Amino acid sequence: MSLSSKCTQLKRVQFNPKSLSPRSVLTVLSVSFFTLTLTACLPNEKQDAKVSINKNPYPSTYQAMPSQTTLFTNATILTGTGQRINDADILIAKGKVQQVGKNLVAPEAIVIDAKGKWITPGIIDVHSHLGVYPNPQVESHSDGNEMTSPNTSEVWAEHSVWPQDPAFDTARAGGVTSLQILPGSANLFGGRGVTLRNVPSTTMQGMKFLDAPYGLKMACGENPKRVYGSRKVLPSTRMGNVAGYRSAWLAATEYKREWDKYERDYDAGKNVVAPKRDLELDTLMGVLNDEILIHNHCYKAEEMAVMVDLGKEFNYHSGTFHHGIEAYKIADLLAENGNCVAMWPDWWGFKMEAYDMIEENVAIVDAVKNSCAVVHSDSSTTIQRLNQEAAKVMFRANESGFSLKEQDAIKWITSNAAKSLGIDEQVGSLEIGKNADVVLWNGNPFSVYAVAEQVYVDGAKVFDKYDEKYQAKSDFLLGQASNNNANKHLTHSVNEK
Amino acid sequence: MKHFNLLISARSLRRAFVVASSLSLISVTSQAQTLAIINATVYTVAKQGVLPEAAVLVEDGKIIAVYSKDQMPEKIIADEIIDAKGGILTPGFIASNNLLGLVEVGAVSRTRDGSDKKADITFNASLAFNPKSSLIPYARKGGITSSIVMPHGGEGVFTGQSFVVNLSADFNSVVVSQHAVIANFGAKSKGSRAINLQTFANELEDATKALSKSKKAKAKNKDKEKDKAKSPKRAQQVINSLLNGKKTLLAHVDRATDILVLLTLKEQYKLDLVLVGASDAVLVADEIAKAKVAVMTSALANLPNSFDSLHNSLNNIAQLQAAGIKVIISNSGESHNINQLRFDAGIAAANGLAKTDALASVTANAADVFKLNAGRISIGKNADLVLWSADPFEISTKVNAIWINGKALTTQSRQDDLRNRYTSKSELPRAYIK
Repeated sequence: MSLSSKCTQLKRVQFNPKSLSPRSVLTVLSVSFFTLTLTACLPNEKQDAKVSINKNPYPSTYQAMPSQTTLFTNATILTGTGQRINDADILIAKGKVQQVGKNLVAPEAIVIDAKGKWITPGIIDVHSHLGVYPNPQVESHSDGNEMTSPNTSEVWAEHSVWPQDPAFDTARAGGVTSLQILPGSANLFGGRGVTLRNVPSTTMQGMKFLDAPYGLKMACGENPKRVYGSRKVLPSTRMGNVAGYRSAWLAATEYKREWDKYERDYDAGKNVVAPKRDLELDTLMGVLNDEILIHNHCYKAEEMAVMVDLGKEFNYHSGTFHHGIEAYKIADLLAENGNCVAMWPDWWGFKMEAYDMIEENVAIVDAVKNSCAVVHSDSSTTIQRLNQEAAKVMFRANESGFSLKEQDAIKWITSNAAKSLGIDEQVGSLEIGKNADVVLWNGNPFSVYAVAEQVYVDGAKVFDKYDEKYQAKSDFLLGQASNNNANKHLTHSVNEK
Repeated sequence: MKHFNLLISARSLRRAFVVASSLSLISVTSQAQTLAIINATVYTVAKQGVLPEAAVLVEDGKIIAVYSKDQMPEKIIADEIIDAKGGILTPGFIASNNLLGLVEVGAVSRTRDGSDKKADITFNASLAFNPKSSLIPYARKGGITSSIVMPHGGEGVFTGQSFVVNLSADFNSVVVSQHAVIANFGAKSKGSRAINLQTFANELEDATKALSKSKKAKAKNKDKEKDKAKSPKRAQQVINSLLNGKKTLLAHVDRATDILVLLTLKEQYKLDLVLVGASDAVLVADEIAKAKVAVMTSALANLPNSFDSLHNSLNNIAQLQAAGIKVIISNSGESHNINQLRFDAGIAAANGLAKTDALASVTANAADVFKLNAGRISIGKNADLVLWSADPFEISTKVNAIWINGKALTTQSRQDDLRNRYTSKSELPRAYIK
């Protein structure tokens, strides 16, 4: 029995004068006063300092890079809200989108003639392991999967991020301006994910997306049962997986109840003992308190349907399903429940749960009202071309009767991704007042020949394909690799195209 | 009736495709043996270059004529005539460095036949090839008509032998079995990279000595039946076939130092060498070009994924091409999504490689290096052909028609059946939709 529940008993005694004489109440109280000096519950007693959980102990130190007012003119603009504006201008200043429209004038701005070029919001990847599974892929840096227990809700991916991963730089060259770094999928609960701004930094905190909610990585299916089943511990089956989730949520529910009660009692002026902190349960309680969003690795239709109910059973939202290969089979259910689904366009066959891939998956999920279809990478290679990943879905779907357009498909890697991460107030579209995360493409971004020419984060240029000044290079590559340098054999520089 | 020959001028065919194709149905009693694809923009990947409004004639699975607009005969005779309506016709794409037909589901061990602890230089994985794998029709969606399958073998230097298949899904789709020897060099998680190089060099040296000894013995005992030199063991025979140039060596290698050692061995033993992966090839491009060694590599590798590959870059392929090296683009390691080879070629083109070179890197170059009768649209080649809706590399483009050995194949796959099931309306559960 915990001290606080003893206090509850005392309270009952105290306010039931019929069963006890005033004297006996006093006796009981005085005894408890001497034995439980710190926990006595008299309303007028002096309270100890309130114990509260610091929810942001590793705060963001991100600062936008230096920026100038910039006006892009005559571009084809995909706003990320489903709109396409031809021959349009966009003005960015003070880190924000100021104006989008035609014939804009801004005398103080740097003007970039974007005739023939396309502009989109910065690309957002909801599923990345950059920094936690970095390049080079050496054992010393393999920090993405804490495969020591089926529930490692206590680990935070941000504590593994190596900001010098050269893949941040190549992703930036592909237009990626924000990304969620997740722990791996070996565990039922893999730990917290963190959303980063894709800017060069010597610390993780310097990349951390200000005020973005944390994510909690969960995993369905083959991975947890394989990893732990082989060690003869739960789970070794899918039913074991679900039992594992339920046990954890039960414990979290209890933990939350204790903390809620502590808050209530303290606020009522009682001097109560705070529950004992538990890092694992802190994270799960964050989900129950709607502060942390679920990001659930879950391929199969029947498992996603169970996870939706699991969320209802324990009163939290089941969040975003990642790698939802079979989402097309239950698209209605997922939209109705408000789940985002993050998908690949066509990866398949590497596991049994990835066998039923169809190329129209994203489009089928997207077609339902109130849906939230997202294209993700989970790869240091494809994160560099999420525009083309989205393109594959659009064109294949249109071959089988859909009529998707560029302005629709761009949402899967911008505004819908922002919604999944809970950062859609700030980024994901080129609406006035939003953060000026902008990509200038050499042409239609849904072409195989598309390349990002310039990338902006919060109005600051962070990449320029034709200006080395804006091409960041990891400490790791400095002094030992001539990556991306034009070779003597190339008679003309690729950059001169 | 062996042929129903349709005599019709090419010019009128351009206007009358429907008539032509319905007429050709009359020949159903016999297998169509001649095929004409007319009014195509033909990318020959051969001396003729790109031929607008051209025609390709196929007989018994082989290309028998390629007519440019100027050379077009008055009449084209064929069992079946396809009007390409100006569409682009290319050779079928050749995939490489994959486990096609050797794996169905990566994590299901009983569907994996690409490796075995016991596998050595004699490992003949073509015996395990499954032409009915669901990966094959899906790969055809990307215009792939054949593949160099490269098993992963065992733990030694040699991982076995590659084999060549076409993507017809027929039981006889293995074109060449035991085709080239595959070897692994470079960084090791345990031990030194020197061991693999040393083992290989020793094998070559020992085999050369044994051959010369056996030659001498043979010459000495020419007439004595009982003293015939004993025939070498199977593994030895494979090494000998590297030494006499009958087999190619496919060497997985990345770091420049390893590449240089292999180039030296190539020179010393006159090996037919192909470098696979070859991240550092750009550092020793002149040496590779001088040795006339081809490189099989990925167009997407631009990250320093190991200390052996610090010089990966998206323009490496353009650099190798510019140095005069024959490059084969492979979506390395990939088996389920080899249909994306065309996008990889497009990305190489977006990073400095000429589009014509990019096309060769997924067609003619592999054919040349592996001596396949494919990869070009020219007389005598296998009629492995793809008709595209537009630029083959573009994401918006699709395969309109595909032929392997002159036989038209579908690009429909299991994925299409699943999609149709889940986009159809029915009052019954979807399991009833077939």
